[in-house]
Amino acid sequence: MTAKKRPPTTICVASGKGGVGKTSLSVNLAYALVKSGSRVLLVDGDLGLANVDLLLGIPIKQTIRNLLDESGNPQDSLVFPIENLGILPATSGVPEMVTLGPDEQSRLNGFIEDLAVGFDFVILDTAAGIGPSVLWFNRQALYNIVVLTPDPTSITDAYALMKVMARQHPKNAFFTILNAVANEREGRKVYNNLQQVVSQFLSMELELLGTIPADPAVNRAVKAQTPFIQSEPECPAGMAVSTIAAKIEKWGK
Amino acid sequence: MNLLEEKQPDCPTDKNTCPLQDRIRRLEEKCKELEALSQVDALTGFFNYRYLMNALEQEMERTRRTGVPASLIMGDLDYFKRINDTYGHENGNLVLKTTAGIWRSNLRRIDIPCRYGGEEFVFILPGTRLPQAIQTAERLRRSLEKSPLSLDGKPIVLTGSFGVTGIVQDQDMTSGSIIETADQLVLRAKSNGRNRVCYDTYSSIAESTGVRDEEKNLLLGTDRPTKQKR
Repeated sequence: MTAKKRPPTTICVASGKGGVGKTSLSVNLAYALVKSGSRVLLVDGDLGLANVDLLLGIPIKQTIRNLLDESGNPQDSLVFPIENLGILPATSGVPEMVTLGPDEQSRLNGFIEDLAVGFDFVILDTAAGIGPSVLWFNRQALYNIVVLTPDPTSITDAYALMKVMARQHPKNAFFTILNAVANEREGRKVYNNLQQVVSQFLSMELELLGTIPADPAVNRAVKAQTPFIQSEPECPAGMAVSTIAAKIEKWGK
Repeated sequence: MNLLEEKQPDCPTDKNTCPLQDRIRRLEEKCKELEALSQVDALTGFFNYRYLMNALEQEMERTRRTGVPASLIMGDLDYFKRINDTYGHENGNLVLKTTAGIWRSNLRRIDIPCRYGGEEFVFILPGTRLPQAIQTAERLRRSLEKSPLSLDGKPIVLTGSFGVTGIVQDQDMTSGSIIETADQLVLRAKSNGRNRVCYDTYSSIAESTGVRDEEKNLLLGTDRPTKQKR
């Protein structure tokens, strides 16, 4: 592959509520994009409670925290679980990472920009909630994906997140992925309500990227510390992720 | 001002006693004294308006850089005009001085007590979140209420109305807007009956970004117009 001149497409994945499978989804999307020929940088933006490394069972050398504290070489922080997939790990259990001061924000931004050179996509996987770091990562991204499940609290929290983002930094559209749905119809129904409210109250578009069925393969993969798209690519969730990845791929073109 | 921190220059004639140096030293001391005086309100011993505005800008900058919030309390004595009218301005001044003393003993060393003007006071609480600042304001309110003053041999119970607002990492915040918010909260405390603390519940932010029932019902496809239970 020849190096593209164009800058990478930056995508932020957020959820509002925790435990909706956001990080697992980010990881699997990253793998799916790599599989179809893209180079992907996955940034673990869950700065206080990072777990991308856990999902992949990879040892990490140094984290975003080390970078900010000791200003090491950002390249040394990257881990490559497979070819063309770089991961910038965060630190788990370091509360002060949740609030970044403006100086740290601009330095972190610089690190990510440096690291992103040569990648086609940068996926920023954020923390749960609507804290400052979540909003900051979302501001850096060109595309904002909000992950939710049909659980009422997840729907409400996802909407709350979009509302805060819309108020603080208005954009044209949000993208959403409905995770762990019983069936396509359930996912559509949740999306339709959400889309209506987003359009009516936030005056923004909400595009459905796809629905992912509840699938025991997802939990099996988390326990095995491997992405389901690798271990069981033909499972229903894996197929759904591949479809979504194909749509995202077009953003990079 | 940094002149004062510079090393004393050696006497050019190298004598043991140098009247010129003595004079410089005396002037420097006077200068330090005046500098301190220029920051302090003579009556109450609190910092004055000029110092307040500088300190506020500085705390806002600290919050901007570190993300650590601070808080501001504004306190206004209730019915102070009546005291002046009834007992005279000398007594009025005594009341201000006594009140400042009571409040000072209820603050931490890092807090910055200032006289904003007349019978209005402002306290900057560095590195302090709103809930803690509300407690402090409540403490100030109570301490004054509990300490009756004696004027012309008569015990007078004084009270104050307080407004508390947060200094947070927000691009749109200015020192003027913070003071204005605190002022409005004091007015609210006054119109709600005085001798009370009103605070900024971030209601304006919550209103614009909180999820309302109307939205929630549409989101979840529920029909009931308000709360579902009870």
